[in-house]
Amino acid sequence: MSVLAAIAVGLLMGVAFGFLLEKSRVFEPGVIVGQMQLRNFLMLRIFLASVASGLIILGLGTLTGIIPKLDPKSVLYGAQLLGGFITGVGIALAGACPGTVLAQVGVGYRDARVTLLGGLAGALTFAYLEPAIRPVLLTGSPGKLTLHGLLDLPFWPLALGFAAVLIAALYAMERWRPWRAELGANADGVLPPAQPAKAAPAGAEPAAR
Amino acid sequence: MIRLTDRAWSPYLTGALIGLLQVPAFLLLGTALGASSSYVTVSASIAEFFDPAIRGLAYAGKYLDGAKNWWQVALVGGIALGAFLSASLSGTRRTGISPVWARALGTSNPAVRFALAFVGGFLLLLGARLADGCTSGHGISGMAQLAVSGFVAVGAMFAGGIATAMMLRAVR
Repeated sequence: MSVLAAIAVGLLMGVAFGFLLEKSRVFEPGVIVGQMQLRNFLMLRIFLASVASGLIILGLGTLTGIIPKLDPKSVLYGAQLLGGFITGVGIALAGACPGTVLAQVGVGYRDARVTLLGGLAGALTFAYLEPAIRPVLLTGSPGKLTLHGLLDLPFWPLALGFAAVLIAALYAMERWRPWRAELGANADGVLPPAQPAKAAPAGAEPAAR
Repeated sequence: MIRLTDRAWSPYLTGALIGLLQVPAFLLLGTALGASSSYVTVSASIAEFFDPAIRGLAYAGKYLDGAKNWWQVALVGGIALGAFLSASLSGTRRTGISPVWARALGTSNPAVRFALAFVGGFLLLLGARLADGCTSGHGISGMAQLAVSGFVAVGAMFAGGIATAMMLRAVR
């Protein structure tokens, strides 16, 4: 595909992605910080739903041959543990992920433009540091390991089984606390203070939440 | 019944639809959804004006050209446009900063928030590039391919995110 065609496809997919991120509210700093404080679980719901649907569609796609092959990333335990942890620190302080920060910019949050600049600076810093980091953390990969590869099974049954587990977990989450209870009055994930101690019994969520 | 003017759609529906975006990604580009490498493409392309030698770096050079790299830049740019459209339809455009920060930081001083936003953004992409992926690439895409790297990185992201967020003030 030519670069220009790829840009056109990317733009169309990005508009759909951004539209869905906005409608889901997962881009809201209140939702993301609330998730990391384990006080709001909207982010986990959206995340697990997208993994489940990806598993199903990729499972069916590879089973039928419509999707010829997957594209998993190589394992680098040190880099992924340390890099993932640093990313997590950034998610909590920025109240954003590398994709959702653009949704924040799009809806008008002022601080998100600064987050974006910080992100570009961080990525460029890594690009310059990479030659020094490479021998320490970015070599000796055991390869593009996958669960189905390790278990020597085809992808699709494992993918569909894992998707079923995630769907059951989401069903249980919805029974525990309906998603609308986590939106907040202004749909920004900012919720009124939690009830002191004494957890409310399941199914008896106070309307004020 | 869902409407384009709704402020929020079900997280299960939106999440599932986001997962379906893997189909055009794999069919047209042969790759999965991701966001963080576009920051290398954009920042290294800008840096090249001042430091043409950056093209010679094996890592940075790999992200400068090609359909896949610029597809992801367009994807990430499109996110801003799509979010703007959705928020315009539902009346949820924002100004200023989210009220969650006054709670989490204990101050409504915007300078504090802007400083933290820069540091947060810097760590976000420094970490994501070290890990070779973010919540999209390792999370949505890695876990949907049962990639070991995805499970490891996502676990570490939540560990870092929870440890840090717990040091902020309770948001509710």
